Amino acid sequence: MSALTNIKVLEIATTVSAEYCGKLLADFGAEVIKCEAPDGGSPTRSLPPFAAGESGLFAYLNTNKHSIGVALDADAGRAILVSLLAKVDVLVCDQAAAWFEALALTPEQMLAANPKLSVCVITPMGFEQSNEYAQLEDLNVLHASGWGYHTPSAADPAKPPLKGPGPHLVSYESGLDAALCITAALFEREASGLGRFIDISKQAVMASRTDYVLGQMIAGDMNVSNDRRAYDLAGPADIYPCADGFIYIWMSAPTHWQALATMLGAPAWMADFPENWLERECTPERVAVCRQHIGEWLLSQKKESVAETAQKLGLIVVPVNNTGDLLHCPQYQFREYFKTVDHPHLGAVSYPTVPYKMSLTPAALNTPAPALGQDNSRYLAQVEAEA
Amino acid sequence: MSMKMRGGPLAGVRVVELTKVWAGPYTGKQLAFLGAEVMRVESLGSLDVTRFYGVDDINKAPGFRAVNPQKMSVQIDSKTERGVELLIDLIKAADIFIENLRPGAVDRMGIGYEQIKAINPNIIYVSMGMYGAEGPLAYQTGYAPCFAALSGLSAMVGYEGEAPTGMNIRYADSTFGTAAAFAASVALLHRRRTGQGQFIDVSAVEAMTSMIGDTVMDYTLNQRVGVCDGNKHPGMAPHGVYPCRDDEWVSIAVASDEKWQAFVAATGLTALANNAELATLAGRKAQEEALNSAIADWSQSQSAEEIVGCLMAAGIGVHKSLSSLDLIADANLWGRGFYQEVEDAEGNARSILGPAWKMTRPAAVVDDAPALGQHNQYVLGEILGLSEAEQAQLVADGVIR
Repeated sequence: MSALTNIKVLEIATTVSAEYCGKLLADFGAEVIKCEAPDGGSPTRSLPPFAAGESGLFAYLNTNKHSIGVALDADAGRAILVSLLAKVDVLVCDQAAAWFEALALTPEQMLAANPKLSVCVITPMGFEQSNEYAQLEDLNVLHASGWGYHTPSAADPAKPPLKGPGPHLVSYESGLDAALCITAALFEREASGLGRFIDISKQAVMASRTDYVLGQMIAGDMNVSNDRRAYDLAGPADIYPCADGFIYIWMSAPTHWQALATMLGAPAWMADFPENWLERECTPERVAVCRQHIGEWLLSQKKESVAETAQKLGLIVVPVNNTGDLLHCPQYQFREYFKTVDHPHLGAVSYPTVPYKMSLTPAALNTPAPALGQDNSRYLAQVEAEA
Repeated sequence: MSMKMRGGPLAGVRVVELTKVWAGPYTGKQLAFLGAEVMRVESLGSLDVTRFYGVDDINKAPGFRAVNPQKMSVQIDSKTERGVELLIDLIKAADIFIENLRPGAVDRMGIGYEQIKAINPNIIYVSMGMYGAEGPLAYQTGYAPCFAALSGLSAMVGYEGEAPTGMNIRYADSTFGTAAAFAASVALLHRRRTGQGQFIDVSAVEAMTSMIGDTVMDYTLNQRVGVCDGNKHPGMAPHGVYPCRDDEWVSIAVASDEKWQAFVAATGLTALANNAELATLAGRKAQEEALNSAIADWSQSQSAEEIVGCLMAAGIGVHKSLSSLDLIADANLWGRGFYQEVEDAEGNARSILGPAWKMTRPAAVVDDAPALGQHNQYVLGEILGLSEAEQAQLVADGVIR
């Protein structure tokens, strides 16, 4: 058995966050029943990337799941929901409070009807503020968290702050915290027999991810300002262009400086720098000189080979990979990060898996994302028979 | 056996961490915020660098304190034989052990998984590394921006047609730490149901790749590589961050054609409203540069607050881009109780960031980060059962302080 075998999860998702949370649980054997609108299904079915007329996003987020098509705004649909909530261990969803009120089925009422149930709701600013902020997209939440304003590092004040990587970073991060809380709640339920209500704020998740800086700021240990560089670190660490792409170089300690000297053959310009300048005397002038020389040198270097040579000397250099490089990376191959899933329309392609390898209960991708309502007979026949 | 009980779903779970800098400590913090008893094993001879960044007093390092609230600290010199024995005894009494030391360090110390499994077969052992514990590149090391660079994520962040910038330099450790905490929580559930512990090998680079899963799918399905695309979104336009008066910025996301109509009505941008080509997403994507210029012309004479007021009422996705000054005053974060007060070793109140979640029957978050060795007596006396005389001898021998 895997870690979540025999755990039943009802997923009612309108965004990537709850759908990703459901996927993280399904990876470990949870039986995830995805409740979709019968006309069109999950909104992610209509989001890019597309291939063969199907959403690759949906295919990725819904492996191992079951799908039922239920119109929850109709009385019959509500009755099905009530019946399912009596049978499952977890409800994960991303609706605002008004949605629960319209169903006359608040999280409190759900828990009262089935005390073993855990209900996890993921919303932009938290459940209490969920009606007011329901319209916020991930871009808005990223900018409500501090990550947006401070990205990129070393910002040019004339250019806008950025959105981060891809369209769904905030949702993935929030789904991860939700999955953490749900599994912790299931752990405790083994002893108490009781579920919980879990309220995830995407804004708080993202702000929490900055605790090293924002935690110092709220404690009064670090200055706050409107400076877009307030989260930055001084020093020459950065992305640099090289002969065949880009590399990232990190230098913060005297050992890194010594390794650089070894690698470059101790050029004359380095002699003007104190040995411990990176730690103790990191002036903007020195950073500029250092950046210029490193930048010129790297233009003649290839990313893979310069990284390998540097790493062996103790200098931290890595290639800036693109998504295409990953499939060819020997480390990803060694860890079997990519798994082939055969989808009836998309065919057999590689899917990214998870970053944690577990010796006894590995995450597994067993079945492709479901067609809309493909499991209606399995789940709804029984419910209708009872009704 | 004694246990610090603060409620929450992980009350009664004991976590021992041998962690450095940010990612490993963040894993411990997430578990502590769920109610686990988390103790850091620290050694004066190989202290976490965040204990002395920017300060003379290792008990007052602000970065360390920001990431380690609600934990305990025991100081054991792990370079001595007796110190390693004590560490092993402590791991024997733990449910979860977390380490993010340099590759191979735990094996050299004699506390690798196989060695620990022999004395505590049901331990949940969490190993955190840039590239994971094993494999052809596992010897390589790096800090957070390296994880993001290797993962494919940094290459996607930047202005269109320019070199990548990556996310802010602080990004990666806390995400990596949460992935490890989730895996540990899954393993706890499995152990409670079956009695079996396990080894968990977490890769920071892969944790980053899992934050761009859809873009990776675009490559595996269509051989299309994720590149810098500024603030663009394939399914929304406008989608961007626009200048406001006084160097403020506002993020605006128009998610549908219906919302576009609401947007032009609310903003009074009649030239845009009258351009029929802009009525569809495809039409707006085709003229995205001109569209963004027109919106920036409109936004730059107003305050972010005015724009938020106008567009919120119209149902548009909008939020001011918050600076650090804005964040520490943010009404939603305060209203939610995200900013909390705890008590330090000397009884002084201190503000911290609380958990990102709220839940019924939560853990009480009450303590500031520990002073070095603040909980020696609890750990050595109550958990390991050493007498006062034995503890005094360890101090005399320099094994503990």
